[in-house]
Amino acid sequence: MRLDGLIQFAHAIGAIATPTGLFNVVWATLLGMAVGMMPGLTATLGVALLTTLTFRMDAGDAILILVCTYVGAIYGGSRSAILLNIPGTPANAASTLDGFPLARQGRAGEAMGIATVGSFFGSLIGMLLLVLIAPQLAEFGLKFQSFEFVWLAIFGVVISGRITAMDDPIKGWIAGFLGLLLAQVGQEGIHAYPRFAYGSTDLAGGLGLLPALVGAFGFAEILCVMKQANYQTVRDSGRRIVPRLADIVGRWWTILRSGVAGTVMGIIPGVGEDMGAWVSYAAARRASRDPDSFGKGNTEGLLAAETGNNAAVPGAIIPVLTLAVPGSAPAAVLLAAMFIHGIRPGPLIMVEFPNFVFEVAAMLFWASVAILVLGLALTRPMLHVLRVPRDYLMPLVFVLCVVGSYAITSRVFDVWVMLGFGVMGFALREMGYPMAPLVLGIVLGDLLDKNFRRAMVLSDGSLEPLLTRPISAGLGLVTLLVLLWGLAPVRRAAGRLFGVRR
Amino acid sequence: MLCAACAAVTLHMPAQRRTDLWFAVVLTAFSLVVAVESWRMPRLAELGVNPMSAPGLTPGLLALVLVVLGIALLWRSLRAPTAPDDTATVVEGAADDPPARATWPRALLALLLCLVYALGLLGRLPFMWATGLFVFAFIAAFSFDRARPMRALGGALLMAVAVAASVSLLFEQLFLVRLP
Repeated sequence: MRLDGLIQFAHAIGAIATPTGLFNVVWATLLGMAVGMMPGLTATLGVALLTTLTFRMDAGDAILILVCTYVGAIYGGSRSAILLNIPGTPANAASTLDGFPLARQGRAGEAMGIATVGSFFGSLIGMLLLVLIAPQLAEFGLKFQSFEFVWLAIFGVVISGRITAMDDPIKGWIAGFLGLLLAQVGQEGIHAYPRFAYGSTDLAGGLGLLPALVGAFGFAEILCVMKQANYQTVRDSGRRIVPRLADIVGRWWTILRSGVAGTVMGIIPGVGEDMGAWVSYAAARRASRDPDSFGKGNTEGLLAAETGNNAAVPGAIIPVLTLAVPGSAPAAVLLAAMFIHGIRPGPLIMVEFPNFVFEVAAMLFWASVAILVLGLALTRPMLHVLRVPRDYLMPLVFVLCVVGSYAITSRVFDVWVMLGFGVMGFALREMGYPMAPLVLGIVLGDLLDKNFRRAMVLSDGSLEPLLTRPISAGLGLVTLLVLLWGLAPVRRAAGRLFGVRR
Repeated sequence: MLCAACAAVTLHMPAQRRTDLWFAVVLTAFSLVVAVESWRMPRLAELGVNPMSAPGLTPGLLALVLVVLGIALLWRSLRAPTAPDDTATVVEGAADDPPARATWPRALLALLLCLVYALGLLGRLPFMWATGLFVFAFIAAFSFDRARPMRALGGALLMAVAVAASVSLLFEQLFLVRLP
């Protein structure tokens, strides 16, 4: 990092340290933690609802609140993973593997402490990498033209579909391309022709991203949660909460490796926090001298998973800021929020908003501090959140979904969009289709459309530049490899060819 | 006729494959319709627009990709059962204790209540009344099998008043958000 960058970063940290700024950090992080803790309420839903409810606020305050909610929710999900064996958000699924066995051994407090410290360091490592990588990536992004953005959009849904549906990639790809197609409804961005509108002014206005997200992650989640009979009750948290210093210092390598792995997984479009946790967990297990103890209450496994998922938060924000391509579903909402507040993320971010990257890094810094302090200090009071009956909570969440979808444009049509996406999201989930590629597709649909048609006009209908321009060809090749990697016959053939045991 | 053929084919299939097959048929048909509609979109040639920037180009190509994916899913669903793909590296959840039994009537009841609120009550009743009624009905409907139903109904009433009043005041007065 150059010295002026460091100074801007320090200034940004100081600028938030006002009574109002810190008040916003505390309540938004606490709200995020509560949202993350409650099974059925995800980080995406929390950030989406707050985006709709804070859009009249000052841009800096609103983005700070959203970033803190995002970090808090990904961290908060570890509580229910440890205490209930139910990941509070999908990002905490890997934390159940060792967190819940620790709770069963009467070491729930220790597990929560380790998860807190891991999340804190994960966020910090991700934040540092954001400050280091984002300006470079934005500069690299300046070389992108329409041809490269076309491949970036296709690569995003292909890799997201592949990784979020590891055992059935075709479903991930269907979700991703369906998202891209749904984004084509409404006035297109070149000639303002209303596609698939059939005379309806509502359809001509397009399907709003936020109502769609609130539906797919809020209403669909309500239906999923209400489908389940009651969960188990909360267990005792045990005595020790603050982890021993030696437990943390002795595992610096696990923290660093998981932080870097989580950030890298976050950067990959539409992959996000859950894969950050899984990859970090798998790496920790591979590196461990005692891999058999993983899944039976190994604190290192929990530390790796929680460091990895929180490191993926800044990681997912890196492509949001520099390429306007979200690294995860909550980051997609954050991208939409930035557009609403007049910030235009993309390769020109360091030119048009030179301080913004450092301001976001400072927001992540304060959110990390908040989860450490609040997470350790409020362990026992926060357990009450898990005792709220779902029958009481879900109608409130639905009311917020309705209010949130209506809030931005005051269109009843947006409530219908929310309902439609909710029912569709519920049905797709029940059939095993992942939501992240769908969301990424909806976000990238406009980018793909405008750039593909521009590219075709520039090349006079020739596909050659898509395959011959260096960056474009590179992205195309990676997309092809990801596609082939997803095809079972290709994997089997490669296994036979290279003698890999399947 | 297509439906009858599908019904006959799916009779002895495992549930997941049957669902995949039905969804593949719906997806392929829907995507074909979208592809045709995209082809029929105006090319705006009379305005001197380059045919490569025609509005239907991108949705048409995306629909064709979905047709291919739909056919691939259809083909896979119709194949003889194969061994599960053991190359998957991600194992979802630990689940020593499976979380809970899933029940469809609960989901359908929740769906019905939410739709009645969003499409039926809002707009016809003032927001506060509609919200109070919805929250009360939702909690009461899912509390009927509780040990002490009267206590549950009391809780539902209390929650309904609290949510209706606090959401209205908080969002209208503090967040300055317009309510439906």
